[in-house]
Amino acid sequence: METTNWVLQFFGRLHPLLVHFPIGLLVVALVLELLTLSGKRKGLREGINWMVYIGSGVAVCAALFGWFLKTQDEYSGDLVDNHQYTGIATAVLALITAVILRKSLKKNILNLKAYRFMLVATVVLLSIAGHLGANLTHGEDYLTEVLPGNEKGYSNLESSALLTELQGASELSELQKDKLNLEVRGLFAHKCYQCHSENKQKGGLVLEHKEGVFKGGTSGLAVVPGQPEESEIYKRVILPANDKKVMPTKGKLLTPDEIALIKLWIEDGAHWSDKAVKVFPEAPLALLTPTLPTATKETHPIDKLVDAYFDKNNVDWQEVVDDRTFVRRIHMDIIGLLPDVDVVEAFINDKNEHKREALVDKLLSDNKNYTQHWLTFWNDLLRNDYSSAGGKRPITNWLYNALITNKSYDDIVRELVNPVKGSKGFIRGVQWRGVVNASQRTEMQAAQNIGQSLMGVNVKCASCHNSFISNLTLAQAYGFATIFSDSILELNRCDKPIGKMAKASFLYPELGSVEGKTIKDRLLKLSEVMVQRDNGRLYRTLANRFWSRLMGRGIVMPLDEMDNAPWDAEVLDWLAADFVDNGSDLKHLIKRIVTSKAYQQPMINYDKIEDTKVNYVFKGPISRRLSAEQFSDAVSQVIAPMYPDVAFNPNGENIKAKRIWHKEIKFNRVVLPEPGKRYFRKSFHLPSLNIVSAKALISVDHSYQLFINGQKVLENNNWKDVGKIDISSYLVVGKNTIAVLGENDGTIANPAGILFALKIEQASGAILEMNSDTTWKSVDALPESGWTAVHFNDSNWLEVRDYGTRNFNNWGKLLNFTFKDQDEKFARASLVKQHPFMKALGRPSREIVTTSREEQATLLQALELTNGAFFDSVLEEGARLWLDRYATDTGKMVSDLYRNALGRKPSKEEREVMLNVLGTNPEKAQLQDLFWAVLMSPEFQFID
Amino acid sequence: METQNSRREFIKKMTAASIAASTTTISISSFLSSCTPEVQKRAATADTVILLWMAGGMAHTETFDPKAYVPYEKGVESKRILSTFPKIPTVVDGLEFSQGLEGIGSVMDKGAIIRSYKSADLGHILHTRHQYHWHTCYEPPQSVQAPHIGAWIAKELGPVNPVIPPFISIGQRFTMGEAEELKAFHSAGFLGTEYGPFLIPDPSSGLDSVRPPKGMSLKRFESRYKLYKELVNKSEIMEKGSNYQRESLMRSMEQSYRLLNSPEAKVFDLSQEPKDVYDTYNTGRFGLGCLLAKRLAMNGGRFISVSTEYEPFLGWDTHENGHIRAKKMKALIDRPVSQLIKDLDETGHLDKTLIILASEFSRDAIMEGRPGELVKNQVDQPDIIEDEKYYGMHRHFTDGSSILMWGGGVEKGLVYGKTADERPCSSIEKPVVIDQVHQSVYHALGIDAQTHYEIEGRPFYTTPDGKGKPILDLFGKPMQTT
Repeated sequence: METTNWVLQFFGRLHPLLVHFPIGLLVVALVLELLTLSGKRKGLREGINWMVYIGSGVAVCAALFGWFLKTQDEYSGDLVDNHQYTGIATAVLALITAVILRKSLKKNILNLKAYRFMLVATVVLLSIAGHLGANLTHGEDYLTEVLPGNEKGYSNLESSALLTELQGASELSELQKDKLNLEVRGLFAHKCYQCHSENKQKGGLVLEHKEGVFKGGTSGLAVVPGQPEESEIYKRVILPANDKKVMPTKGKLLTPDEIALIKLWIEDGAHWSDKAVKVFPEAPLALLTPTLPTATKETHPIDKLVDAYFDKNNVDWQEVVDDRTFVRRIHMDIIGLLPDVDVVEAFINDKNEHKREALVDKLLSDNKNYTQHWLTFWNDLLRNDYSSAGGKRPITNWLYNALITNKSYDDIVRELVNPVKGSKGFIRGVQWRGVVNASQRTEMQAAQNIGQSLMGVNVKCASCHNSFISNLTLAQAYGFATIFSDSILELNRCDKPIGKMAKASFLYPELGSVEGKTIKDRLLKLSEVMVQRDNGRLYRTLANRFWSRLMGRGIVMPLDEMDNAPWDAEVLDWLAADFVDNGSDLKHLIKRIVTSKAYQQPMINYDKIEDTKVNYVFKGPISRRLSAEQFSDAVSQVIAPMYPDVAFNPNGENIKAKRIWHKEIKFNRVVLPEPGKRYFRKSFHLPSLNIVSAKALISVDHSYQLFINGQKVLENNNWKDVGKIDISSYLVVGKNTIAVLGENDGTIANPAGILFALKIEQASGAILEMNSDTTWKSVDALPESGWTAVHFNDSNWLEVRDYGTRNFNNWGKLLNFTFKDQDEKFARASLVKQHPFMKALGRPSREIVTTSREEQATLLQALELTNGAFFDSVLEEGARLWLDRYATDTGKMVSDLYRNALGRKPSKEEREVMLNVLGTNPEKAQLQDLFWAVLMSPEFQFID
Repeated sequence: METQNSRREFIKKMTAASIAASTTTISISSFLSSCTPEVQKRAATADTVILLWMAGGMAHTETFDPKAYVPYEKGVESKRILSTFPKIPTVVDGLEFSQGLEGIGSVMDKGAIIRSYKSADLGHILHTRHQYHWHTCYEPPQSVQAPHIGAWIAKELGPVNPVIPPFISIGQRFTMGEAEELKAFHSAGFLGTEYGPFLIPDPSSGLDSVRPPKGMSLKRFESRYKLYKELVNKSEIMEKGSNYQRESLMRSMEQSYRLLNSPEAKVFDLSQEPKDVYDTYNTGRFGLGCLLAKRLAMNGGRFISVSTEYEPFLGWDTHENGHIRAKKMKALIDRPVSQLIKDLDETGHLDKTLIILASEFSRDAIMEGRPGELVKNQVDQPDIIEDEKYYGMHRHFTDGSSILMWGGGVEKGLVYGKTADERPCSSIEKPVVIDQVHQSVYHALGIDAQTHYEIEGRPFYTTPDGKGKPILDLFGKPMQTT
């Protein structure tokens, strides 16, 4: 660090003064010079010359002083550097201009072209240097912020309006004083709390409450009533941008209006309002009750309101989309599946005037598919998954039933916060072993999740310290969390206890008391306090989520921050009120939205994602990318089933077979099996051959040969492909033996297991069942011949291990592993355990609540789609199935692919391209590539 | 020079479209607003990071910070056991390692050792929680998903070579115990999956993840892509829907096509190595992971982790037979790690590659947790050892462990911090916590210490509250302040 020389420093600080001379002189010189261009006004010459000489001389001095200022006062940064370079260049250019001018005059050359050119160049550079310098002093957005469209951040307009009002008043009324104080406190909250709250206390200053503000910090009194010049706050906010002491240090400087407000407040005696104030904007709890406009030709209530909104915003209605587009959109939105080809054609040909509404009704009453589609939404929202870190309890069964019976939202909320059998997992949260941060105790998790998922308010910040993004306080968060606790919680600020005890209370105490002696009492009260029409926020939050799902963007964004302003409060509140007034029926809410003309508008085109966020005006829906689940299901429908197994099987048969394998031990621990062959046996006793049926099911990861009583009966190398076999002809009376030669594939240890079940229905009516379990025996070295026979001696074989337990379990429930006739064609992706493929396509891991998924395509995702072994194998299997079905009928193949995947016939051109690829005798590879190309197209991947 | 070069390469390799792609593929990041102040970028001393992860808790006293050796004999008292191996000298004067680490000892003149790392107190000890903490710098659970250090680096710096994913994780599978917990931190968290790890569980088949699907010829791969483009162009849909959405999809497909079709794919192919080199590294999957990491570091990898792999009770997670198993683990790492340092040094890449070797915590023969924060014992340890399986470090110790670093501007031959020579072998000089380790890495990479994003309305820093400070001594610049 260089030492500071006061002389240089002094000159340095003259730089801002000095720079104005060359600016003035040279610019005016140029103007005058322009006036001489016509050849008239020769009298100006002498003056211009002097202006150029003096201007360039001072420019050099200014540059020199600027350099002093930079080095002595430790300015740094790109902006300073740029200003320096342009400044020096200006000085040099100015000097050259002056020299050329002098020479030209001396030689009496009347041609001043070179000089004039240089003068223009100098002034241009000067303007740039000057602008950069101004940015340094006033902040980079000093100029641009006043441009239309740039009023960012905290309500500048309102504070300006207030300022104008107050400056006009000769004496402030009590009300005005309160307003002024509120405004200033809002300003503190937005600009200062990050560093000056109970939490941070930089410089010992706390601006969150009266005591802190008037106590000041280590630099002195923050506020001296009546004397802004003595008040540290005022002194600091008016410093130039690059001063080390300027406040705020983070983020933008205060605007002149904001500074003026603070000054006015201090001058006026720094009045502190004692009223309960909310410094952050907060949405009202109660719902608006808008009257539907009558002067409109729209008939649907939403459209009536949207029509009024469109009028205000100069937006025109467009034609609703055609039937073909509608039928795909509505299928994807209500049941998450592509419409069948004949459904599409029948719908298009249907002459019924109300056919769209009829289709909506039909789809909403398809309970199974409605449930299996919307389950994904609820799983994300309630962070419910089939496997997850930290020991969470799933609520799938309860949730599935709630959806399939169309339980009212009121009841859903009641049972989530005051759990019934099966719904406990939601408020129970993640329980890690060991010590966790106080803000992550399970009671607090419950508070946070209810806040975020159901109420659209962020409790996370307030669970550590008073929030600086909302009005929530630490005490409120703890009060809420205490409801779920069996003891009264002590408040912890940033993980440190502060000696205050919480008092059980809902986030919005005005809705009613939740106090009670036991958790049970409190939860019951909470459920009733939350579920009431007065808690409009609950219904508004959900209505907004559904709107976003169906329209591509919420009326309020982000979806979890319901205090933000909606693009139209009346549309949102009418929808929420309609929802609650119709028994909080979820299907009613969906129907309301999708039968509107607003929903049936064509998708709106946006060039940039930002356009859907900033200054958003609703014009119609935004197209959505298929979710991981929708994409998977669509591929399962069109190409080949993607997932053979589910984590949750609503119609499953309860077969108790276990995934067994040879027990592999390393350092006394059971480990993952190494690749290689293993040999398994199990015998059972059959009293008589008088049987009605005898069936066996088998699935082995990775491959197997199945023997019954020494005879090889089945083999396969795909665990997803359940082997089903009638074994009656192999059975004998007395001892029977099942033997399996299993092989684990791969280069390193990896999961392997046999799943086997056998069911013999005897004429006596008795049922004999035998499943793979730990009574089976195995060896890892090739046994002597005859090991599959009944009478082989396996007494020294070892007991197998159940590899289907938590640590090693990598298999879901196979849909086909059932003795029943299977009617499910494929497993719905929503029921499948998180899979790397779906993960790549954006399905969240649900450790935390996820209410909006990533929609943008990423490289990792594209890689999974382009070379992922899993997806590739699905396409290959699909090509095999299709070739079986269509043989060489390529014309039909192509047309069916388009009709199924895209809901339309291929155009002539498209047809040609594809037929060309397939040739007359299509092979699997070509068909597979065709599938790929169609599935990768935006037309398939978006809901339009 | 290095950055100049790669930039030129970059432009050569990418078409305008894919340049746009690599700089604008925004996913969730578009919801985040970067709040990092525009300060002048510190000159980076490293471009690439390799993390050699000793999963399961590597005992410092059995590896890089040996204490008094007590050989096994029947009836020896547990409390006498400080180290079960004799000490050996290293190339650095006065620096001693545990027997079996001669190779790594011989390259310590090219790197530094921190001997005073202290893990967090997370109560009842769970490996994956401490691993989560080590890799994200945040204690689980968190109310937002915390990004892995590799994801932060991928987000802030992007790829060095545009066709090599910036965050590659080698060697860890998710098919065994605590899989969900492992997945929880192998994640880009709120930064978005784009910055998440590119997983290569088995380095010998790493190539599979960057070439066309098995059984597909390059020719077929190319014509498939051509067909796709042709169909897209013929489709009327290009006039419908949102441009930004369509474009992001098309861009990502193009990028992936380029990566899979690029000559860089052979970087992932270990069979390109001469047999003797391959054999030198090949002590198992971890050794081959080091070989792959070397190839990636030399060809534009950004962040590469190679794990000995965490599987409960295996690897460094020695709950019994500690002595014998530590010996095996040392044999697994010694040769490939030292060879990696040598190879990168010889080719000049070590200057710009920061290599870190670390573990979530250490172990001790009798102490679980740390003095003053003792927690429930995980295993029984007899006072008197009658069976050799009780000879070793079987309990989790969190008060001192070693971190090794080489290259990327790290001071050569430096020994930083110290642990006590008698039990408890705690850090007694210059204790280091995880925030400092992360900030040191960011420091070397030129990533500002205050880097953070606004998520759900609050700032989320690379290290909690942005408070972490780099250990400047590591970089030989004790006087510099940031």
